[in-house]
Amino acid sequence: MAHNYNRRSALKLGAGGLAAATLASPSILRAQSGYPNRPINIVVPFDTGGYNDRLARAFAPFLQEALGQPLTIINRGGAGALLGHTFFLQQPDDGYTILCTSAAPYIPLNILTQNAQFSLDDYYMVNLPSQDYTLMATSAGSSVQSIDDVLAALKADPGSLSIGIQPASADLVNLSILLDANEIPLDSVRLVTYDGGGPTRNAVAGGVVDIGLVGGEGFLPLAEQIRPLLTFDNRQRDNWEGKIITDVLGADASFVNGSQRGWGLHASMQQSNPEAFQTLVAAIETASKNPAAIEALTNQQLATDWYGPEESNAMLRRTSQVMEQYIELLQGT
Amino acid sequence: MIEIDSVNGAFALLTSNPEAWLYLLPGLLIGLVFGAMPGISITMAMAFALPATLYMDFLPAIVFLTAIYTGAGFGGSVPAVLMNIPGTSSAVATTFDGYPMARAGRHNEALGVALASSVIGCLGSYILLLFLIAPVSRVVLKLGPLEMFAVAVWGMLLLGSLAGSFIARGLLAGVFGVLLGTVGMNTAGFVRGTMDIPWLLDGVPHIPAMMGLLAASQLIGLINTTYLIEDESARKISFGKIIGGVKLALSYPTIIARGSAIGTIIGSIPGVGSSISNLLSYSETKRNAPDGDTFGQGNPKGVIAAEAANSSSEGGAMATMLALGIPGGGATAILLAAFAMHNIVGGPSFIANNKDIVYAVIFSNFAQAILLLFVGLGFVYVAGYVVRVPLRFLIPSVLVVSTFGAYAIEGSSSGPITLWIFAVLGWAMVRYGYPPAAAVVGLLLGSLLEGNLLRTNQISGGDFIGYAMERPVAVGVFALMLVSIALSAWSKRKRARAVKLRSEAS
Repeated sequence: MAHNYNRRSALKLGAGGLAAATLASPSILRAQSGYPNRPINIVVPFDTGGYNDRLARAFAPFLQEALGQPLTIINRGGAGALLGHTFFLQQPDDGYTILCTSAAPYIPLNILTQNAQFSLDDYYMVNLPSQDYTLMATSAGSSVQSIDDVLAALKADPGSLSIGIQPASADLVNLSILLDANEIPLDSVRLVTYDGGGPTRNAVAGGVVDIGLVGGEGFLPLAEQIRPLLTFDNRQRDNWEGKIITDVLGADASFVNGSQRGWGLHASMQQSNPEAFQTLVAAIETASKNPAAIEALTNQQLATDWYGPEESNAMLRRTSQVMEQYIELLQGT
Repeated sequence: MIEIDSVNGAFALLTSNPEAWLYLLPGLLIGLVFGAMPGISITMAMAFALPATLYMDFLPAIVFLTAIYTGAGFGGSVPAVLMNIPGTSSAVATTFDGYPMARAGRHNEALGVALASSVIGCLGSYILLLFLIAPVSRVVLKLGPLEMFAVAVWGMLLLGSLAGSFIARGLLAGVFGVLLGTVGMNTAGFVRGTMDIPWLLDGVPHIPAMMGLLAASQLIGLINTTYLIEDESARKISFGKIIGGVKLALSYPTIIARGSAIGTIIGSIPGVGSSISNLLSYSETKRNAPDGDTFGQGNPKGVIAAEAANSSSEGGAMATMLALGIPGGGATAILLAAFAMHNIVGGPSFIANNKDIVYAVIFSNFAQAILLLFVGLGFVYVAGYVVRVPLRFLIPSVLVVSTFGAYAIEGSSSGPITLWIFAVLGWAMVRYGYPPAAAVVGLLLGSLLEGNLLRTNQISGGDFIGYAMERPVAVGVFALMLVSIALSAWSKRKRARAVKLRSEAS
């Protein structure tokens, strides 16, 4: 490369740079000391109307109060949240963009099956209040009465029941664990794949499929039209009748949580903008513990429990590890 | 079916809450304006208004949002008629005859026809909803993949009538559309044809692709023309002619009734809705009309069929949402979110416990439909001035607005990129005699066809015939389809013979 700089232009450049630096630096300093001094964006990597969107919109007024700046919600749906997650990471880690997402299963899914250009370490989960779980259910009028009926029928003939499920989902991993323990081969059961939780639940409630496995919280509005059979958690959830997985597979039964939803930040913020990072974590904690917020969110069937960053990140990592073990199930049926 | 107590309760609610009525007019206007902008969907208009409803009482909030829903449902047909732009997938069939009418100088009539059919379709669907809300919702949940597949095949029959002079080219374009519709991740988790572009995982973005194929390709083709309507004397904006269109629509009550019935039923199926019902209604009307051959060249009956069906889908979708708490599409998902904001959870218990609110919502929709007639008349009168804009200004402005719309609807440059690729593709298809509309129909139905055929295979374990025997509704739909085809073939032959006899006699 030819060097055509003479002394004059070098001086000019230097002077210009110096002037720019002096002009710019006070404003940078001001910006840092006064965080937050402009509106903050919340990225929701799903379309309007879903759980995360509702959570973000319901929680925003309280978070706004704690931060003292207005919040704008940006919906970036598509490709199983891959587009929204990528968009979030592309934004500067200055604390003016936060994430409200179904961290599990979507971040691990993006990484394990969609060749995403990020890793789990790029995210820092402040709180994941919503811990969804897989519920196995049948329609209210079905002849299947209990999980024992299901297992007996499948053991006699694995193809005897059609099973509604989403491909590459935590529900599929849970089904596989249950079938393995009962020595029923997964590839001989009759899986019927749906494109989302809603259609799967409709098929269960309408008796289109014999049984279905799908996130349990979404079943609440349809409660009268279904019969719950098995909850994949170590405790009873949402007052569903039927057994829980530890009744069937013993106290050390392994299972995957369904969606773990809540609030995330750029992990890099801890080093690059520690002050803004602290402010945000504290604000999310304050808002989560605000009694008015808890009442408003509970009324809308949205979760507000405070687990904190340590536990939230650990939960996400645990789910991610189980998902990694079942990677071939998640890569398509 | 109708409970008098609840009806009285509903009237009490509506009369004691005058504030609710205040939101009717602004809601309709917001809906009309947003709906008429290409690329701004009904869902976006409602999402935009959702935060404002937080500060309203429950009933005014719901009245406001449903007014936007009603307004936007009709708004979409204005650009469909005037510029061949289906701003939403529910206005695709409106372009088939509405745009040829506009180009022939019958834009006033076309808009009047569209408005009247929309208003009556909307009214009709809410009347049906009033009586059928409970039974319809029970049936809807029982619809399985075979039934949905039958509905999709029914829509595909439209390809035959879109083909124009070369049947083979029409079918080829349709198959091309279906193939495009299968791009992305299918229901079993397999990824096809994405060329490693992440946004194609969700498939080809429908609305930008449609705008490109139908509208942008047309506009590029018009570059050497000076005005949308070539005959200067026909470029008039006439209120009388709009009213004439309204009257014309009223003279085809059977088409409106058929469109409303198809719209309400299809609209109540979650995930199908108005984007399919307008196609079905159009193809049924064309097949049964004695002058079916002139469809696609500016026959007002085509506009009536499409508009009656897409507006009545609103009532169907509301039925499913109110009765089951299931959103059939984006708009009803937003309504459910608004319900949730006011601590009301949709679903069977909601209807059982709040019959008065349900009836109040239905009655306020009657009022909306009637008000839409008057607001809409003014709106289409103003919108009609588009035909007076010289094309050298109109084409670039519409392309720019479409590009913005495509960006808005996808939230990324994938929208504009899709729009422009499909604009060029659409232009080439027109140039070589392939109907782009057939490709659009294929694209809209592709994933519905594939997903449900696949699920039928999964549920039946490959035994299609045995499974079909257990699904009388699906067999019924297929049988109806065959009867309808046979009848139309028979009447066509009869007509051909009559024409022949007449020519021999003379």
